[in-house]
Amino acid sequence: MTAKVAITLWMIGVTAAMFLLVPAQQGLGNTGRIIIFHVPTAWLSELAFLVSAVWSALYLWKRRPVDDDRALAAVEQGFLFTILATVTGAIFAKVVWGSFWNWDPRETAILVLLLVYGAYFALRSAIDDLERRRQLAAAYALFAFAMAPLLTFVVPRLSDSTLHPNCAFLQTATCKGITLSANGVGALGETILELRGIRHEGDLVTADVAARRGGGDATLLQPSYNTHTGQQVVQPKLAGTNFMLVIKQVNGDGSIFLNQQAAGNQSQLGNLRTLGTFLASLLGFTGLFWWIWKLRVNVMGLRRELTLDGLR
Amino acid sequence: MTGAICTTAIWFSRSMHTPTERPQPTLARASWAVFQKDLRAELRTRYALNALVMFALATVLMVSINLGSQLLGSEPLTPLVNAVLLWIVLFFAALTGMARAFVQEETAQTAALLRLHAPPLAVLIGKWLFNTLLLAGLTILTTLTFGLLMSLHVGNLPLLLVVLGLSSLGLATTTTLIAAIIAQANVRSALFAPLAFPVLLPLLVIAVQTTDLAFSGAAWNQALANVQLLVAYVLLTAASTMLLFPLVWEA
Amino acid sequence: MTTPQIRLELDRISKSYGQRSVLHNIAAEVETGEALLVTGHNGSGKSTLLRLLAGLQRPTGGTIRYIAAGITYSPLRAQGLVGLVGADVQLYRELTADEHIDFVARLRGLSLTPQLRNGELERVGLGGRGTEQVGGFSSGMVQRMRYVLALLHRPPVLLLDEPTTNLDQEGIAMVDEIVAEQRQQGLLVIATNDRRDLHYGDLVLTLDAHTN
Repeated sequence: MTAKVAITLWMIGVTAAMFLLVPAQQGLGNTGRIIIFHVPTAWLSELAFLVSAVWSALYLWKRRPVDDDRALAAVEQGFLFTILATVTGAIFAKVVWGSFWNWDPRETAILVLLLVYGAYFALRSAIDDLERRRQLAAAYALFAFAMAPLLTFVVPRLSDSTLHPNCAFLQTATCKGITLSANGVGALGETILELRGIRHEGDLVTADVAARRGGGDATLLQPSYNTHTGQQVVQPKLAGTNFMLVIKQVNGDGSIFLNQQAAGNQSQLGNLRTLGTFLASLLGFTGLFWWIWKLRVNVMGLRRELTLDGLR
Repeated sequence: MTGAICTTAIWFSRSMHTPTERPQPTLARASWAVFQKDLRAELRTRYALNALVMFALATVLMVSINLGSQLLGSEPLTPLVNAVLLWIVLFFAALTGMARAFVQEETAQTAALLRLHAPPLAVLIGKWLFNTLLLAGLTILTTLTFGLLMSLHVGNLPLLLVVLGLSSLGLATTTTLIAAIIAQANVRSALFAPLAFPVLLPLLVIAVQTTDLAFSGAAWNQALANVQLLVAYVLLTAASTMLLFPLVWEA
Repeated sequence: MTTPQIRLELDRISKSYGQRSVLHNIAAEVETGEALLVTGHNGSGKSTLLRLLAGLQRPTGGTIRYIAAGITYSPLRAQGLVGLVGADVQLYRELTADEHIDFVARLRGLSLTPQLRNGELERVGLGGRGTEQVGGFSSGMVQRMRYVLALLHRPPVLLLDEPTTNLDQEGIAMVDEIVAEQRQQGLLVIATNDRRDLHYGDLVLTLDAHTN
């Protein structure tokens, strides 16, 4: 009971903070706030996969029905959180990237999760014999889980880069960019870049970059960067992509470090209030996950006891 | 062979012996027996064979009728489109054919005979051999007819053979385990695609991409990473299938 | 005489399908030389109990133990100890009787000469029918084939589900002989409702229904 009240109040607090404390993001406006909900739900839907695999393995080992209850409850939670993450993500994607679904690697990964969870439920409902149902469901959950590491290698190959801000979202993380010296040529995703020149005007560094994609003509982009403040001043859009070309760094030897990023990815969590709200949200959702999971396990255990009692 | 004669003697004496003295089947012999049994039964009825060949031909023809006539006057399809079409045909042909190995045993109630007498791993290996053979034949047939009807240009034939070989292995391994799972459920055929698709997705993605590379004549070093991923998929599914199959079979 | 002892223990066995309970708290012990007769009306779980004993299904609760030479085996590990004859063990319609025997022998690691194979068939009155496909067999002939396959490895534990189903007088005499022989070498569990079969057993387990 206390858990229910505590979690409810906590989530109300997080929601309030999401609108009151977190600053509206440049270029994204209020839509950016959704990541406070989106990212924790996405993380938890992946965690649920791990949790269900662990309890499934334990069931196959010890054959305690309660372990199967735990695995099933984890899949239920995973399904719920996957849907939450997909819906929040799709809203964000529609506003920022222009369509609800983009076959971005993470979208593909979460779709696979949804399919696995759905298949798990379908399998369970198609088997009457309880022992057989538990065992086959556990085996399937483990098999799907064994395929997961491969998916992390395969899925990024579906598109050359990600709309998800891997690199800019958390300040410590870095994307794979390229370092170019004058007249250097390099590839950023499928775009071929040629650095034609670098101009210095006080603190402002402007690069002349010829960008070519596929067999098309080169377009001249002029991203600029303030070495004093470390801010990207001009971020031209890369033709044929949803990304901006940015100068991430100007090196001492005159070369520059270039990268691509989606709109509105400027280190949002760099803001301390935002980071705090995000962590509070993560904590709240984890509590919610754990609480519902526990509740479901108890209900399933009770139902099992009652069935057995009814038979006596 | 002296060992075999010895066990015969003990066996024929009709005397009781403790379990440790009982003849132990070798895995290879028992697996081969399962494979031969399936092959013999299949060659006598040709149920799966006929159904699969007709299915593959029908789907290839379906693609060709609609696209082939358009190809004459205009631009040929891109290698990627060809690769996707070929893999759609192969994937659904596999889904049609691979379930039979186990579903047939359960519907005809012959699975009990196997469970009573065969070591679980022998069932897996025997069925896997049969499925691999069936799928290999199917892949060759489908690719040849597809190639002929779509006037396909293959830039790197050895690469195509490697991709088709590895993908067939992966496809056969995964579908063998999934078939063993669904054979014990109520709505067997309806479950196969939903259960198989998410675990086959990595394979299908790399297979399509590498087939695309092979069609467009990419060099080996371009395709090396993909081939490595295919090998990884085959090894990963083989290992997890070996571990999980006995649990599935004895459920 | 030192007949190796085998012992079967059923400890509080229960089995349910979803909400439906089929078996509840079944306990029994059977030893070499004994035959346990399992009776009960249709749907009381006789066949289910035998399937549990053969390791074809798992009990919802309780344990089944085979104890031979001081070693305890679960039904799943007792493949070499158990033979089952029952209507839910079907044969491959496309294969001949000979191929069935060869198949089971190879699965079991037994070596079998054609003479031995014919001997097995003659024992159940199927001599000379070895090259016919089982799909063309009558139900009585299929039942006889089930005995051949179940006894091929000379199991110390023989499980019979409706042993004389579909059999003629001659076939019933054959079962009498097999049961008598088996009682000297091991134990039997026989599920039946047929009065004629009742003399096979000396221990009786009556399953009452759990209908909800």
